[in-house]
Amino acid sequence: MNRIVAILALLAACADPQGETPAGTLTVLQEQQAAWVRNFNPLLTTGGARWPTTAGIYEPLIVYNRAAGESVPWLATGWTWTEPALRLRFDVRPGVTWSDGAPLTAADVAFTFDVLRRFPALDGAGAWSFLASVTAVDEHTVEFAFSRPYSPGLSLVGGQAIVPKHVWEGVADPVSFTNPDPVGTGPFTEIVRFDAQVWELGKNPRYWQPGVPKVDTLRFPAVASNDQALLALVRGEVDWAGSFVPAIERTYVDRDPAHFHYWFPAVGDTVFLYPQNATPPLDDARVREAISLAIDRKRLVRVAMHDYAKPSHPTALSDGYRAWRRDDLAPDGGWVRYDPAAAAAGIDAAGWTLGPDGRRRNAAGDVLTLPILCPAGWSDWVRAAQIIARDLDAIGVDARVEGLDFSAWFDRVSRGDFALALGWSVSGPTPYAFYRSLLGSDTVKPVGTAAATNWHRHGSPAADALLAAFEATVDPVEQRRLSDALQAAFVEEAPAIPLFPTPAWGEFSTQRFEGFPDAETPYATLSPNAVPDVLLVLTQVRPRDDLQAGSR
Amino acid sequence: MSGLLRRMGLYAIAAWFALTLNFLLPRMMPGDPAQALFARFQGRLEPAALEALTVTLGVSTAPLGEQYLTYLGQLVRGELGISLVYFPSPVSEVIAGGLGWTLFLAGGALVVAFTLGSALGALAAWRRGGWLDTIAPPLLSFLGAFPYFWLAMAAVWLLGFQLGWFPVRHAYGPEVNPGFTLAFAASAVRHALLPGATMVLASLGGWVLTMRNAMMGVLDDEPIRFAQARGLPPARVFFHYGVRNALLPSLTSFGMAFGFVLSGALLTEIVFAYPGQGYLLLQAVRGQDYPLLQGLFLTITLAVLAANALVDVVVVLLDPRTRG
Repeated sequence: MNRIVAILALLAACADPQGETPAGTLTVLQEQQAAWVRNFNPLLTTGGARWPTTAGIYEPLIVYNRAAGESVPWLATGWTWTEPALRLRFDVRPGVTWSDGAPLTAADVAFTFDVLRRFPALDGAGAWSFLASVTAVDEHTVEFAFSRPYSPGLSLVGGQAIVPKHVWEGVADPVSFTNPDPVGTGPFTEIVRFDAQVWELGKNPRYWQPGVPKVDTLRFPAVASNDQALLALVRGEVDWAGSFVPAIERTYVDRDPAHFHYWFPAVGDTVFLYPQNATPPLDDARVREAISLAIDRKRLVRVAMHDYAKPSHPTALSDGYRAWRRDDLAPDGGWVRYDPAAAAAGIDAAGWTLGPDGRRRNAAGDVLTLPILCPAGWSDWVRAAQIIARDLDAIGVDARVEGLDFSAWFDRVSRGDFALALGWSVSGPTPYAFYRSLLGSDTVKPVGTAAATNWHRHGSPAADALLAAFEATVDPVEQRRLSDALQAAFVEEAPAIPLFPTPAWGEFSTQRFEGFPDAETPYATLSPNAVPDVLLVLTQVRPRDDLQAGSR
Repeated sequence: MSGLLRRMGLYAIAAWFALTLNFLLPRMMPGDPAQALFARFQGRLEPAALEALTVTLGVSTAPLGEQYLTYLGQLVRGELGISLVYFPSPVSEVIAGGLGWTLFLAGGALVVAFTLGSALGALAAWRRGGWLDTIAPPLLSFLGAFPYFWLAMAAVWLLGFQLGWFPVRHAYGPEVNPGFTLAFAASAVRHALLPGATMVLASLGGWVLTMRNAMMGVLDDEPIRFAQARGLPPARVFFHYGVRNALLPSLTSFGMAFGFVLSGALLTEIVFAYPGQGYLLLQAVRGQDYPLLQGLFLTITLAVLAANALVDVVVVLLDPRTRG
């Protein structure tokens, strides 16, 4: 017994110093992982590289800031279309050095794109589907020649993380390269420590922005679940996180209202209820509109999303597209308002009449049955689907929630094997990619073939012309006019039913650091999940002035 | 000895059968790994990335027979392939990261639960109707009946968070570097105490009951009474005649339970953010990471078979009747 007491005393003597983090060390929770795997390959499309490899260790030419809706020159000081939508010239920022001391030149940019050409597995943006050549014109100018007019290519090219030629030309197979000791241009490049449950990334002593970063080290503890993430947040062990937290005011903010903050701006992708447009009865726009009118979105976001989200705009555009969004199309909410009477009338007009048993039938006597597909483990989506099912039931549509395992759900959704399904959507700097995936005929695959987008299978010839015109112009006024017409086409054709834009989850603590963006100073999106916007935050965050002198 | 050889042959057949199942099962799941990986990004990837991923992961369209031969060939060479979720890290490397911690935590908890449970069970049976016999079995069965997830969460919340007696996550503190130092060992033990204790608590009841019931049966036997009549010291009767015989059924269960050490620590590892292999299994299933899944099942299968084979050998040593 004495021996046990002695051992316990020894263990207790090794006091738990967990809370004591060095003053300049910022603890970040972004990826949920049980154990870290050392991978800093910014070109990988598989997501195998650690956050913030693509925007932190490495950097792109342009950082698109979705909170402000503007493109920030980053490794490029500027860009010009030497031939509209066909030939693009970037001025590579002078005075930038890699973390090993070598200067950044246009050759590095050209080399990076050459790697993507030689290894299509790394070309996640599909850049070589519209590129013809990339050439370093001189030390600080790089020119992209397009194979077809494609103005959205600017953001795809500008968002690519650039790697150093002098390091990567020696890599035989960049696809399987884990890049354990990265050489980058970003604010944080030095791997201070790496083991399975915690790793630390130190600042780049040669960073090109003077006096930046103000934080010495980023620390990443491995945390595998939302519960553990919440525990770490509440204990003040984490300075910055991008987790979903239920009832956040009570569970998090109330623990330390002076320091614990969150900001969930509605700039994420819009969650849709996709109707499969290729098969009756959902090939009829009247039925789709009626379903949309039957959904009580206010209740839906309250019950399913803890009121963190708000009902979708009629154009389905999130707050990230505020500058593009038209408010004149449906001032009363249009087809996304809650109006069960209009919904019932619309579905009547489509030929589905209400029988004495409370079900709707068509002339042939078929009952209107629309199962809703949803990933079973996603409790917020399951609740949303249940509310939709109840709302549809109220107008006589037999809608049941069909919860499936995530991969089974994705398999059926991408093959178009469903009537109604909950799903996410594509986003980008302009509404182009968003509407292309909702309306573009070239994204429609036959039912039964897996598709990356346009799961609902809707092609619109009217939208195709607008999308093609958008690709061909670099004139902002013209792009705006086309975007307006695309929004009108979307509302008119009602291919997919928008529910709510996903909030970008972000929490921070000012116990030790300040300078995070929030609703008052929205200089960027707070969420660390927003890449590459995080570069804006990583270069702004600083230890609190009043704590500078001593440790905490 | 030939009996033992025959049994080892059976184990070899069982291993082959498990390996084949291991090959077939993941391939019967819907979708393919490129799609699964693409889906995990929830629209944050350009649609063009789906093609890039299919190229990267080299999703095989070869006939099943050919894939099977490749699979067996790789196993023989000890290659487990490249993980898809942790691309491009080799599966063996990914598993190696968590295997040690799982063995340490879950294996340690099992040994403690087995030793403690068997001792309590044996003592309870020895003093039949005594206070230990009255309290321990019902109380421990009651604790074991709690859903484990709940028990673990309650432990984290109360002992870790509210009272702050134990660390709430990880296998060692951030202030120590892994290595052969006293500080690291102390930190590792400290971090294993709470998750280990919940695992012991959840399984202790079973061991106590098994041992107690077996011991009861043995103590009623003639040889025990004969030994007592011969005037042998009670300790010798207890250990040599009682425990040694009563332990045999528990030992078989121990072999079985050891296999679950590698797979069953899933909940513990998620609740305590312990860097073991249970969470890997979850991620592999989610991401349809066939190579990682196969690697994990392989280690689990081999561990179960090896533990059972070992128990067989021990039983033969302990029990003369099995030396046929």
